[in-house]
Amino acid sequence: MREAWRRIRAVAANTFLEAVRQKVFAVLLVFALVLLGGANYFAEFSFQEQFKFLKDLGYATISLTGLLVGLLGAAQLIPAEIERRTILTALCRPLRRWEFVVGKYLGLASLLGVMLGIMGAVFWAVLRWKEAQLIGAEGQAVAQAIQAEARDPRLWQAFWLIAAKLLVVCGIAVFFSTLATSTTFVVAMTLMVYLIGHLQSVAREQWLESGEAAGWALQAFLAAVALLVPDFNLYGLIDEIVAGNAVDGRATLQVIAYSLAYLGVLLAASAWLFEGRDL
Amino acid sequence: MTPAVWTRSLRKEFKLGWGRGRVLALEGLDLEVRRGEVFGLLGPNGSGKSTAMKMILGLLRPTSGRAEVCGCRAGTLAARRQIGFLPENPYFPVFLTGAELIRYYGKLSGMGGRGLEGRVQELLSLVRLGGEAGRRPLRTYSKGMLQRAGLAGALVSDPEIIMLDEPTAGVDPAGSREIRDLIRELKERGKTVIFSSHLLEQVEDVADRVIILHRGEKLREGRLDDLLTQTGEWQVRAKGLAEAQHRELRAWLIQRGAEVVQEGAPRERLEDYFLRSLPEKERR
Repeated sequence: MREAWRRIRAVAANTFLEAVRQKVFAVLLVFALVLLGGANYFAEFSFQEQFKFLKDLGYATISLTGLLVGLLGAAQLIPAEIERRTILTALCRPLRRWEFVVGKYLGLASLLGVMLGIMGAVFWAVLRWKEAQLIGAEGQAVAQAIQAEARDPRLWQAFWLIAAKLLVVCGIAVFFSTLATSTTFVVAMTLMVYLIGHLQSVAREQWLESGEAAGWALQAFLAAVALLVPDFNLYGLIDEIVAGNAVDGRATLQVIAYSLAYLGVLLAASAWLFEGRDL
Repeated sequence: MTPAVWTRSLRKEFKLGWGRGRVLALEGLDLEVRRGEVFGLLGPNGSGKSTAMKMILGLLRPTSGRAEVCGCRAGTLAARRQIGFLPENPYFPVFLTGAELIRYYGKLSGMGGRGLEGRVQELLSLVRLGGEAGRRPLRTYSKGMLQRAGLAGALVSDPEIIMLDEPTAGVDPAGSREIRDLIRELKERGKTVIFSSHLLEQVEDVADRVIILHRGEKLREGRLDDLLTQTGEWQVRAKGLAEAQHRELRAWLIQRGAEVVQEGAPRERLEDYFLRSLPEKERR
């Protein structure tokens, strides 16, 4: 097992290194950081509105950048290796195919983790900067309220939820990359599942409530969507947090556990599909 | 001792998809490669050489039949531990440097620590990519340099069998000669070398035994000496004879009932002439 872990680490490190050496991810990060920093300059509103705007824009930037990193990174995973045939020189070694899939995923997850870490740190710095600015402008009378907005611990809850959501998106991309030979196919399919995932709860309700009224074909379709596609509406907790509503910590943990479980199933299915594939 | 590679009735069909049927790539290949020999897989493009190699490496699953590597079923971890592979074209992650490539392949083979680092430096020197060249990204390498880096990657775990798919394709004559010298060196070290090629003169230089494939079927198999020696003829190369003595020798042969099939001054091979024309330090 130790040797397997060493091989997985080698694949993950190589995947991470490849991504880091590509300019596209650095450029994406720079754009995200500019957006996060620039959000601080919208100062025409009350401090509550300013913080709301900052959080809205901040989380949207982090989510969108993370999604693009996940999609572009995943597209580079297995299909690009098959297109360039570099996969032949890796898999002819004593490396199991599931180790390769897990290593690839961990490499992409590491890239995502580093980028989220940098964006999170910058977002945190911008919030603290805003806090200092607003206390200076509004005076000590509202300092406590401003600090409560800037240092709201629920913001970290939202951050972890975004990370969990993006890790699932990367898992979906890895799943499709074990089936496909084209990077476009992987990006398109992952995006489709991402969009359908936001409607999954509607499909589930329809499936559970439709009963005899719906035909078997419609029922089967709704059941397939409800069972196979992850429910991205669960991550709506992020919006609740940004809106300033209280979100139970247990609910956050449940969503993270759901994400990890879904990810486990995705990776197991990816490894199984990839095992029988001719290269 | 079990053979290095053994196949029995190895067959591969590819599905074309969308109901377009199947295409046969290899039909019932029986093969035995002995340990320590240099074995050539010959055949035109599409003859099944690469398919056979990929099945031995475990990259393709046989439709039927069986392949074994040093007694282990092809494709298993135990079998893959015995093989180092150099693909036809330089299919390497070009964002890595030469040293990083060898290190990466070493780690994939389960190596690590100082042992791996020492091996990386040793191999860089062996393939003449030491110093600055080893620190350059592969995307800046010439085809010959890439092949050498790939060869070092194939050798990193010191495998028993080295498989080379068209190792000299697209490489200049000096590089090609160098790869053949390396194949001989590997044989001297007791390694088994299996390589595919359609450059027949080059195969002739290094192979002990060959197999000829055509459209997925085996046409011939045997030792090169057995296959190529024309036992009905005899050849003598002589130096220092004058023109008159040539005529005398020909007349002597005809008088004794021999048919003179070929006569004249022997020609050097163009590759040898080309290499001799280069400055000495560029020949390697």
